Amino acid sequence: MKEVAVVGAGITKCKGRWVERTYYGLAQMAVKAVLEDACISVKDVDAVVYGIYNDIFELSAIPEHPLQGIIGMANKPGLRVTTGGATGSYAMLTGYSLVASGLYDVVMCLGVEKATDCFDFTSQTSTPEVIKTIGWSGDTYFERELGWTASDSYAEVVLAYMDEYPEDLTDEVSAKITEILSQQVQNNPYAQRYGERVTAEMAMNSRYVVYPFKLLETCIYTEGAGAVIFASKDKAKAMCKNAGVPPIWITGLGASNEHHVAGKDLRHKLMHRIMSDHLAAQAAYKMAGIKDPIKEIQVIELHDAFIKQLQITMAEMGFTKLGRSDDLINEGLMTLGGPILVNPSGGLTYGGHFVGGSNMFSCWSARRELIHRQLSRGLIHGTGSTIAQFGCVMIIERRS
Amino acid sequence: MAKEKVIPLHMIPDVGSEVLEIDDERFLQTNEAMFTFFKRTKGEHSPFFLALKERRTILGGRCPECKIVRVPPFERYCPECNFVELKLIEMPDIGFMNSTPPITYFAHSLFQHQVPFGRGRVLLEGADTALPINVYTTKGVLTPRIFKKGTPVKIVFRDKRVGKPTDIFAVPLTELKAAQRKKRGLLESELDWASPKEPKVPKPTRKAKQDLHVVMDQLHDLAREAVKSSRAQNDLAGWKRTIQVKTGGGPFVIQIARKKLNFQEGTIKKADFVMVVKDPRFFQDWMHFKDSLTNAIIADKLWISRNAEFTTVFKLDRIPRSLRRSKS
Repeated sequence: MKEVAVVGAGITKCKGRWVERTYYGLAQMAVKAVLEDACISVKDVDAVVYGIYNDIFELSAIPEHPLQGIIGMANKPGLRVTTGGATGSYAMLTGYSLVASGLYDVVMCLGVEKATDCFDFTSQTSTPEVIKTIGWSGDTYFERELGWTASDSYAEVVLAYMDEYPEDLTDEVSAKITEILSQQVQNNPYAQRYGERVTAEMAMNSRYVVYPFKLLETCIYTEGAGAVIFASKDKAKAMCKNAGVPPIWITGLGASNEHHVAGKDLRHKLMHRIMSDHLAAQAAYKMAGIKDPIKEIQVIELHDAFIKQLQITMAEMGFTKLGRSDDLINEGLMTLGGPILVNPSGGLTYGGHFVGGSNMFSCWSARRELIHRQLSRGLIHGTGSTIAQFGCVMIIERRS
Repeated sequence: MAKEKVIPLHMIPDVGSEVLEIDDERFLQTNEAMFTFFKRTKGEHSPFFLALKERRTILGGRCPECKIVRVPPFERYCPECNFVELKLIEMPDIGFMNSTPPITYFAHSLFQHQVPFGRGRVLLEGADTALPINVYTTKGVLTPRIFKKGTPVKIVFRDKRVGKPTDIFAVPLTELKAAQRKKRGLLESELDWASPKEPKVPKPTRKAKQDLHVVMDQLHDLAREAVKSSRAQNDLAGWKRTIQVKTGGGPFVIQIARKKLNFQEGTIKKADFVMVVKDPRFFQDWMHFKDSLTNAIIADKLWISRNAEFTTVFKLDRIPRSLRRSKS
C-alpha cells in the first residue's frame, strides 16, 4: 500500500442551527476552508468521499448528488459513506483506501450535516424531532417501535457495563471530565459551546436525559461541515512544502462492526463491552506498530457521544483497564499535565456533533494539535449505530 | 370513535413559510415533511409476529447444527453454520434481564404517550440471544432501579395485539401470583395494576411539620403567581387532577383545575394518584428550579402511584420554569 498523509483540514463554525446556510452552503464553506489550508486548487483533487449520515436530516435520498458540482468536483468520482455516528471515520477510512490503493493521488473527505431544520410543530422546538429522526435508525422490525433512541441505546451499553463494574463510572469523575472538556473547548473558536463554562458541579446537577446520562454530559446537535484532504507520499510532500506545514501521516486504521443483537457470547453483542472500539483500536495499533498506546499516543480525539461512553471507550482502547475508567481522573491520566490529551477540541459534547462530519472535525483538531504542540502521534475515533455497534480508529503521526 | 392514523393528525403542520432576520439579512424557511406510507411485509419474521398476535406464543429459531437458539428468530438461516435453515420452536415466557434496561422519561412525539417506559432485553429460558422488549411494573411508577441484570421476568401479552413488538412486555416475576407465573399467554388485563406498592413515610416530627408549613406558604405564593403567568396558564390548560401528596412533614393535596393550582394541607378521600416524598423541603428545590419532580422520580426521592400520570408530572415540572420565564 502507498503511504498516505493528511495535507489539509478545514471546518465551518459549529452551530446549533445554520439558518444562513443549507447543507450545500455548508459544504462549500468547508471545501473552501480545506483548499485554503492545503494551499491547493480543487482541480488538484482527484476524488471525493462524502460523509453524510442521515437522509432525513438533508430531506433527500441522495443528498450527495447536488454537492458534486457545487464543490467543483463535476466529472470526477464521488461516493457517499454512511455508517451512523461513525460515518465520518468510515468516510476517512474509505478516502485513505482510495489513496493507499494507488487508485487516486489526492482525495477529499467531506462531511456535512444539517439536523435542526427538523422541527416538532407540537412543542415548537427542534430537539424532539431530531431525536425522532435518529430514532428511525433502530432495528425497524424488533426494536424501533419499543421507543428506541440513540440515547437509550448507548445507555443500554453503559448500564450493562455498570452491572459488571458497579464501582466504576462514578458521577463525580464523569462530571470532572465534563469540566475539563468545557475548559479545553475555549481553545477552539469553531466550537458550538465556545465561551460557555461548565463546572463539575453544574454537570453533576444537570438533569438526566436518560439514566445515567445527564444533559451536560451528552453530545449536542450541530449543523456544520468539515473536510480533510489525503494525498499520496510524493504529492503530500510537495503540497505540504508549498503550504509550509508538515504532512501528517496516516499510519494505522482499524474498524469493527458488532452484531446488532445482544447475546451470551461474541457471536452476538456482549452488552457490557464496546468490542467495536476494542477491535478497531487493536487493528489500528497493529498496523501502526503501537505496543503501548498510553506511552506512544499523546493526543486523542474521541467520539464522546456521552461522557460515560468516552470513559468505556478509553478502557476498550487500552488507555486504562475495564472497570478502572475512573482512573482517567483519579490517576490523572487525562487531567492537566497527564500523559494523554483527550478531546482538545472540546469533543462532540462541547465542540459540536454534525454527525457525518464530526470525525473530520476530530481529525482537524488532532492534526492541529500535532502541528502546533509538536506532538508525534494522535488517535481519531468514531462510534455509531445502535448499542455502539460500529467503531473506527485512525492513527496519525508527525515525523520529525 | 375515529380510527387511529399512521401519522397522528395533530402532528401535521399547516402549509406555510416564514422569514427570519439575522444580521440584517432575510432568510426564508418553509414547512415541509418527508413522509412515505408502507404496506410493509414482515416476510420471514411473519411466523414470529403472527404467533404473538394469534397464539400468544413466543417463537425462537434453533440451529440444527450449532444448537444456538435465537430469540426473536431474526434470521432464517444460521450464518455460523453455512446458512443452514433454523427450526422455529416455542419458547418459555419466563426469563431474566440480560442487563439493566434504560428507562425513558423524555420521549419524542411518537412515544410521549407511553412514558415512562423501559426498553430492555430478556434472555428467555433456553435462549442464547436476548429478546428486545418493553418493561413495566404494576407497582407504581417505573424507576431505574426496579429492573437489574438478572431480574426474573414474565412476558405478558397485550389484550389488543396487532403483530408488533409492542404486543408484549415484561414485568418482574415477583409481582405475580403463582398461578399467573405458570399461565402461558398471560394477558395484561389479568394483572393487578390497582395495588401499587406505596413507600412508607416516617411519622412526622415537629421539625418536619414546621418545614411543611413553610413549604405550603411558598406553594400558595406559587399558585398565585401561576394565575398571573400566561405561560403557566398554558401549561395547566385543559388539565384536571387531584393529587394526594404524602410527606415526612404530613400530607397535602394538589388540585389542578380550570388553569389553576391549589395546595391544601391534609388528605382527600379520592385522588387521581398519590405522590410520596420523605422530605417536604424537596418542593422548595422544585419551586426554585433546583430539582424537578422527574429527576426526583429517577433518583428514587419521589414516588407516584400511577405510571400513566407522568403526563401530570411533566405539566407540574413546567410551572417553575414558566414562572421564571414570565418574570424575565
